[in-house]
Amino acid sequence: MNTATEHLQPGQIDAFADRELSPEQARAVQQHLAACHPCSLQLLATIELKQAAAEAGRRLSPSPAMLARLAAQLHQNAPAKPLPDAKPQAKRVLSFARPNFLWPALTAALLLIAISLTTWSVRHTRNTLSAELLDQHLATLSPAATPQVLSTDRHTVKPWFEGKLPFSFNLPEPASLPAGTTLKGADLTYIGDHPAAQLLFTVGKHQVSVFVAQQSSSAAPADSTRSGFTLRSTTAGDLRLIAVGDVDPPQLDRLLSSLVSVQSAH
Amino acid sequence: MISSSTIAEPASGASFEQLALPLLPSLLRHALWLTQNEAEAEDLAQEALSKALRAFDSFTPGTNFKAWIFRILRNTFLTTRTAIAATRTTFLEDSEEIEAATSTSPTPEETVLQLDNAAAVQHALAQLPPHLRDCLLLCDVEELKYKEIAGILDLPIGTVMSRISRARAALRAQLQPHFGGRQ
Repeated sequence: MNTATEHLQPGQIDAFADRELSPEQARAVQQHLAACHPCSLQLLATIELKQAAAEAGRRLSPSPAMLARLAAQLHQNAPAKPLPDAKPQAKRVLSFARPNFLWPALTAALLLIAISLTTWSVRHTRNTLSAELLDQHLATLSPAATPQVLSTDRHTVKPWFEGKLPFSFNLPEPASLPAGTTLKGADLTYIGDHPAAQLLFTVGKHQVSVFVAQQSSSAAPADSTRSGFTLRSTTAGDLRLIAVGDVDPPQLDRLLSSLVSVQSAH
Repeated sequence: MISSSTIAEPASGASFEQLALPLLPSLLRHALWLTQNEAEAEDLAQEALSKALRAFDSFTPGTNFKAWIFRILRNTFLTTRTAIAATRTTFLEDSEEIEAATSTSPTPEETVLQLDNAAAVQHALAQLPPHLRDCLLLCDVEELKYKEIAGILDLPIGTVMSRISRARAALRAQLQPHFGGRQ
């Protein structure tokens, strides 16, 4: 084990962060950490990286349709499978002996599992989508992040998307935008595997992203607040519009309303 | 007729379906990471489930079902065209490279991250060599123990540890531009 002057090895820090050390080894590492600032920082960095990797790894998630198909296959094939230590004879007797009144209960239980799975999938997809949209908005906040089309002119921004998106949308006149709101530019982005427009607005001194996608290709994210950022969504015809920013929710709603109002003219 | 008490499940409690159903999202997600293709991932997960169901008699109740079925998923993946193609790619095996990898990493102060850009981390994960990424995902995403990962990947536990360290060192190096990047 390390002395107080000898730093921990990367493998030791990883094993400590992963809770893989024996209690005795963990105590020794804790003693070293109490006296060693660089190793403490290294551990903190490892734990943060571990959390970030876990979150990022979970972002690659199966679609609800895939899950439903696999669950259906499981329902179809698995119910008759005996447990490893179940006696086959007992199983056979069971299949004949189970009272009929149990079948409605079993069916209800299976239905409940299926509904739970579907509900979980929808909620998980919505959370993942919200996180994805927030990430995409955060990525535009860096001073180094230049919009792909940098213009306050709607007649420049809208045509830029022609041929890039499988749908079209309208942008309001500057005078029709809420007070203090200006168009800054836009990016072509992807929500899931589907192309979408990310319109960038300045609201006072704040940045707001409005994602425009087809309803058919994007789930509806739940209106929510994460890390000080608010997410609001609405629909207009076939389009789904989702606003993300650190302004008050009513300001996001007003911006969305101004965008919705011009889609009818589309 | 036998009473309901005699048809109760054994101590391990659950049927194959009860054990497998909650793991479907994890299985599919890991299959997606392995194959990088939705259709292939679904086929892989389906095949792994079928194999696991057929082999359920060999599962020891009381042991970790997740580790058991992930091992089947992994072994099933190794027979796919994608995996066979990947094995043709040679990589430096797990020797003394942790030292070299960490020496080019940022200083501890720089590595106290503010990693709010999950998309960047996901991209960096995708760029990792598959043998390092698999270990890291099983550890960090699936929250499996080193010993279970060693069983799934059929590797010595020391190799698992070194791969996890190397994966994190490589991630740090890739994510260096994002360190402390919150505005």
